[in-house]
Amino acid sequence: MKQIGKIIATEKVPTTVDDFFFWTDKELIIKPFDVVKVNHIKNSITFGVVQEISHLTDNSSFLAGFISSDFGDVNYQQYTQRIGMNYVHAKVVGNSQNIYTPVLDGSYVSLADEDDIKEALGLKDIKNPLTCGFIEMYEQPNSVTIPVHFNSHFLIGPEGAHLNISGISGLASKTSYAMFLLKAIQDKYLESKSDESVAYVLFNVKGRDLLAIDEPNIELTDEDFGIYKMLGLTTSPFQNAKYFYPYSKDIFSSTYGRDVKSQMELGKACLYKYIFEDDKESIDLLFSNVDDPNQTMESIVNYIATGQGGFNGITNWSELLKEVYEHTKAGSSGKDKEITVLSWRKFYRLFRKTIEKTTIFSNSLSSKAKDCEVRLKDSILNIQKNDLYVVDVAKLDEETQGFVFGDVIRSIYELKLGQANDRSESEIPSKIIIFIDELNKYASKEVPKSSPILRQLLDITERGRSLGIILFAAEQFKSDIHDRVKGNCSTHAYGRTNAIEISKPDYQYVPPVYKSMLTRLKQGEYILQNPIFRSLLNIKFPKPIYKQFKNG
Amino acid sequence: MRKIREILEDASNGICYDSYKYCADDEIKVPTLKYEENQNFTILKDRYGETDTSLKQTKDLTKKAKQLSKTEPLFKFFLDGSRRTYKVDDIEINKRIFPIMAGQIGVACCERKSPSKFCCCELENNLVISLPTEANPEVKNTELFFNNIKDKINLIERVKKAGVKFSNVLSYSSKLNQDSADLKYEHLGIAAIQDEMVDCEKKIVSNLTNKNLLNEDNYLLKDGSLQYKPMKTGDYKELSKIKNNFRCVIGVSKLFNPEFSKDKSGKSNAAALAKLKLYHRTPAYMFQHDMEKWSYLGDYKYSVWYVRIRDSKYTESPFAGIVKIEKILITDNENEYGLESDLIDVITANIINERNPVCYGNDKRWANHLYPVYLTEKFLKSKYLSDIHFLNLF
Repeated sequence: MKQIGKIIATEKVPTTVDDFFFWTDKELIIKPFDVVKVNHIKNSITFGVVQEISHLTDNSSFLAGFISSDFGDVNYQQYTQRIGMNYVHAKVVGNSQNIYTPVLDGSYVSLADEDDIKEALGLKDIKNPLTCGFIEMYEQPNSVTIPVHFNSHFLIGPEGAHLNISGISGLASKTSYAMFLLKAIQDKYLESKSDESVAYVLFNVKGRDLLAIDEPNIELTDEDFGIYKMLGLTTSPFQNAKYFYPYSKDIFSSTYGRDVKSQMELGKACLYKYIFEDDKESIDLLFSNVDDPNQTMESIVNYIATGQGGFNGITNWSELLKEVYEHTKAGSSGKDKEITVLSWRKFYRLFRKTIEKTTIFSNSLSSKAKDCEVRLKDSILNIQKNDLYVVDVAKLDEETQGFVFGDVIRSIYELKLGQANDRSESEIPSKIIIFIDELNKYASKEVPKSSPILRQLLDITERGRSLGIILFAAEQFKSDIHDRVKGNCSTHAYGRTNAIEISKPDYQYVPPVYKSMLTRLKQGEYILQNPIFRSLLNIKFPKPIYKQFKNG
Repeated sequence: MRKIREILEDASNGICYDSYKYCADDEIKVPTLKYEENQNFTILKDRYGETDTSLKQTKDLTKKAKQLSKTEPLFKFFLDGSRRTYKVDDIEINKRIFPIMAGQIGVACCERKSPSKFCCCELENNLVISLPTEANPEVKNTELFFNNIKDKINLIERVKKAGVKFSNVLSYSSKLNQDSADLKYEHLGIAAIQDEMVDCEKKIVSNLTNKNLLNEDNYLLKDGSLQYKPMKTGDYKELSKIKNNFRCVIGVSKLFNPEFSKDKSGKSNAAALAKLKLYHRTPAYMFQHDMEKWSYLGDYKYSVWYVRIRDSKYTESPFAGIVKIEKILITDNENEYGLESDLIDVITANIINERNPVCYGNDKRWANHLYPVYLTEKFLKSKYLSDIHFLNLF
């Protein structure tokens, strides 16, 4: 391949086991993340990834530059340009013969071909390949496009699990990237004959984002389809999708979805409800974001769930509300001194707000097939292999969103633990992938430690890998997320973010140039970190394959 | 393993002292400046160096320079020679002690292919040793004798291992010139090395001419004076050839002794020069080498003039910012009437346009430096072996 420069090792800046520097022509276009190779001793080749590129002239100071322009004449043109060159800081990612002594001064540096790049970045001979995008390197005519694969065992278990995607809203296209990965996983497992099977539970938290994922994106061009084909993926949208909308009489008041009726007719949509009898134990989830240092809320929930006081025999939500109200009256706490009236009042206030506002708390399920009413928990407990459930919570208020999310992951946890029903283990999908956007609502550093949802999430990230519960989560600011939640993710995808975010300690290990790249990544570009890659990768992915709604 | 000094001892019947080795450039006051300015050349009184004899005062070339800045530059090649000398030992020959001098000679010519492309066109990089003529025990076959030493030295393991080669063993005359009392043997040794460097320069100019690279549109700009000291060995034919090679060559000196600048009546011109305005040039004067001493050289005249390329308000001395330009007069016409004033204007305007970029901060002589020359000098110096490396060959 084309030689582009030579190694420079100086007294002050030597080459090391980890780094080297080389000069190039100042007009050569090369960019961070490009791979270069260096001829090293014993005919071996050392690979490096470009980190920083600097341009240098013999200008000793800014003042010399000013003087050289004829003491500040901007129109001045000179016969000779100042001598200048570029020097590149590269990070060693490997050597063809595992020789890690520093590369030698004057060694040739050249661009790498496809094979070299794969070897350098650890993309060669990946087991259980799962497409995660592609990398583009160098400029024409030397440009190279290479599909990048994860080892699926490091994304969805058993070796490593969970994915965290971060990036600012809109520009980072977090949902699109998560959906791209899910598409790749679905493509792989729909055809797979192995024992492993996957089911998906997605939460639609914004507009109609995920409410038509089984419909094609008509805006895609042949070029976009070409990318899908190049990556070895099919060009059809998602299969086996089933939508769960929050119940309300007038369906449009509880969802942004417009095609609910037709989806229901096609048998791929249901309305979910919470029935007091079966769901009273979950009401703790309604208070997950309420600061509860003395655990009074928890005590009250416990009190209700165990049917103490007047709560025995209650059969619906309104009776419950009434009974709670009874406890808020002065002097009513005579029997249960542990819980003060003030606590009951707080509980009542919060509980009433949610119950009266949302429509998903209901007294009964319709038994008519055309009404398509379900209990979400029942559906989850019966999820089949390759099923793709989309739970719409976009139009619910924040507490109810948390309640639904908490309830779903609790159900999945119970299902995988085999506590919920009599399904045999072979029947249950071996992996269930949960995708939730806005993770910061449930697992931010500010969420009270007692939050049941946070506890559930910690359980999933810490023990889900072995159970086969995989969390794909996205948030705007990674630094906000609970350390144990993000720390347990094996794969991290960094989309475009802002300068304040990259100044946080989470990004300390990211080299400065990559940091500033993070602030100007294009849509459809991510920086990926995965245990099998030898360095961070700057990958791209195609536009979503499913229907997009421009106005939410 | 044999050492260089053992070879020298053997060949010259002398004794080496293994004395302290050092780089002579800093230790001994090198007669460089003197060399350029020693008055081998005298101004021709009442002769103009240019055709326009009406020019009495200075001439403003701002407009001309501006006009020419939009065209291709005149100077395409840049030549610089330099040498680094070392005193490597003392040798006792016939009860007298002489220094053994050695040096690295570099002459580079760089080509400006475009404003952004500057590359080396010719490079001479030689290692030499300078010995007294006494080193040769015989009277005859001096050249053969020194050549022999060179070959033997190049066969030494240490020299071979370093991957270098000595190109010449020079001899310096041990006759001390009575006129210059401060002259020492060291200086004579260095002078021999300097002469070798000048020869290299001439060789490169001759190469460029042979390749037809120099013409009216592609001039060579040489760093320093063109006032070569006539070689004692030079014959007239050789010199006239050299002279012809210098048809499209300009010498630009950044360091000159203002006391030596004379007007055409032979009086010191220093004060007038200090007052030279920005982008103004002086009238050209005609110089000639000392006819009495070097009559065998024939007609060998120069036009010399000065130009200020930087405003004196920005420079540290009134002479910083002024460069001295020289051109050898070639044709009979030129010898008689001096250079065409138009040519002088074009050359000067081009020099003015070469004033930027500057090496401010990197070189104290920035105000007098021309950037392409500075680059050539840098390139040349980068090609030298380090002092320690070189001294350890001995």
